[in-house]
Amino acid sequence: MAEFFRSVVNLISILAIPLLIAVFFGWGFAKKVKVYEVFVEGAKDGFNTAVRIIPYLVAMLFAIGIFRASGAMDLLTSMLSPVTNLIGMPSETLPMAMMRPLSGSGSLGIMTELMKVHGPDSFIGILASTMYGSTETTFYVLAVYFGSVNVKNGRHALPAGLIADFFGMLGAVFICRIFFGI
Amino acid sequence: MLNYVWISLIAIGILAAVGNDIKDESANTYRNGQPISIKFEIHAAPTGQSSTWKGDFVVTIDEFNKFYGVNASGSEVRQTVTMNIGELGEGTFFFSTTEGTPARWKEMAKSASARDKLTGGIKSITFSENKKSAVAQVVFEPIRFVKIKAVTQAALDYANTAVEISLGLIGIMALWLGIMKIAEEAGLIKVLTKMLTPLTRRLFPDVPSDHPAIGAMIMNIAANMLGLSNAATPMGLKAMEELNKLNTKLGTATNAMCTFLVINTSGLTLIPATAIAVRAAAGSANPALIIGTAIFGAACATTAGLIAVKILQRLPRFKKDLETANG
Repeated sequence: MAEFFRSVVNLISILAIPLLIAVFFGWGFAKKVKVYEVFVEGAKDGFNTAVRIIPYLVAMLFAIGIFRASGAMDLLTSMLSPVTNLIGMPSETLPMAMMRPLSGSGSLGIMTELMKVHGPDSFIGILASTMYGSTETTFYVLAVYFGSVNVKNGRHALPAGLIADFFGMLGAVFICRIFFGI
Repeated sequence: MLNYVWISLIAIGILAAVGNDIKDESANTYRNGQPISIKFEIHAAPTGQSSTWKGDFVVTIDEFNKFYGVNASGSEVRQTVTMNIGELGEGTFFFSTTEGTPARWKEMAKSASARDKLTGGIKSITFSENKKSAVAQVVFEPIRFVKIKAVTQAALDYANTAVEISLGLIGIMALWLGIMKIAEEAGLIKVLTKMLTPLTRRLFPDVPSDHPAIGAMIMNIAANMLGLSNAATPMGLKAMEELNKLNTKLGTATNAMCTFLVINTSGLTLIPATAIAVRAAAGSANPALIIGTAIFGAACATTAGLIAVKILQRLPRFKKDLETANG
């Protein structure tokens, strides 16, 4: 079932981009849009947008880099593990849950390591990969998206994003315990 | 809010680094100044005028673990090493870390004077009769301030990474912004927007339901669902640009922007492709096993995020930021 679903979605995602381009260009051409001129006009903004993001992303990644390299994660893990033990979340996966919103490459590394040590089909392996798939790198997304329009005051986006991450992680623990619980 | 989290990350990071280094120093985690006994298996003895020996350092895993108080696995620690031994049996050595180097030595090598190279002095060395091996007492160069050095390095490295990521976006940004512009001019986005009006009116009440921002947001969310992150980011940034046109206070996020970002950060996707790929690489019997659980997790995140964003935007604290807009 999961395999079938996967192959269907895979097929859609492979076809999506060529199909999209064909439909857009075809439709535009039919509607007598000057496709080439319009394309270049739109593409012109690509450079500026990318460059505009730089200071925001530097600020964000630099802070996350300091946090990751300092070993603060180990301290937080040992402080929080009594709490997570209560909900049946193995303390090995706690760094995963905390790293996920902060750093995509960091959480990818933790997930790979957990699978190497415990095996991909162990409870910890399954939970770690579910957690990885349950949310996005909140801090990165905020820096890039707000940076692109020069928004410095993100208001409630960060707390709401972190609440989403928190419940994503809780949901991952809950569903994994039901289906693959020890 | 971002201010506080940002400064906390930096402050916690620096404090933790200093704390960890003090702890390492008082526990002498890296055994500075303490000699470890190793077996030296000689590959090449010096010829002519030189005094350079080449060979392998061998330490049994039990001795290694006892010396450093760790529990590395394997049977022995082996490093190809270069030694310079003087007349009196005194000398120096160095080796580069490799894949098989124990974690503790790798850690030490990272903050050693020559990056990824460990050096040290030979206290005493006794050769076997056939000159094929020797037993030596060696002391590594003192390793200090490991975390503080790592923090400094990370700050510089990540600043570079940020620029690389941003510049890496230029190509796909230009491509997708071009394609989106065609769709916009052709009126395609309007068609798409109209179909989903009942949903988008509820999610983004402040955005007129025929605004181009709606179309870009729908396409971004659809691309995210399909795992097309290369297309999703440019569409999302296009959506932000359109949303910003409705912004009365530039530099401050609108309610619609926050709602849109929460949908993005909760990362609802039909196929968690990266997680599946890592599972397959790790030899899982069923890599796709987690599709269902990950969708459930992401659905929890999205629901909680949307509820949170709608509640938080009503709080006076966050409302205030918007209202001063007209002043």
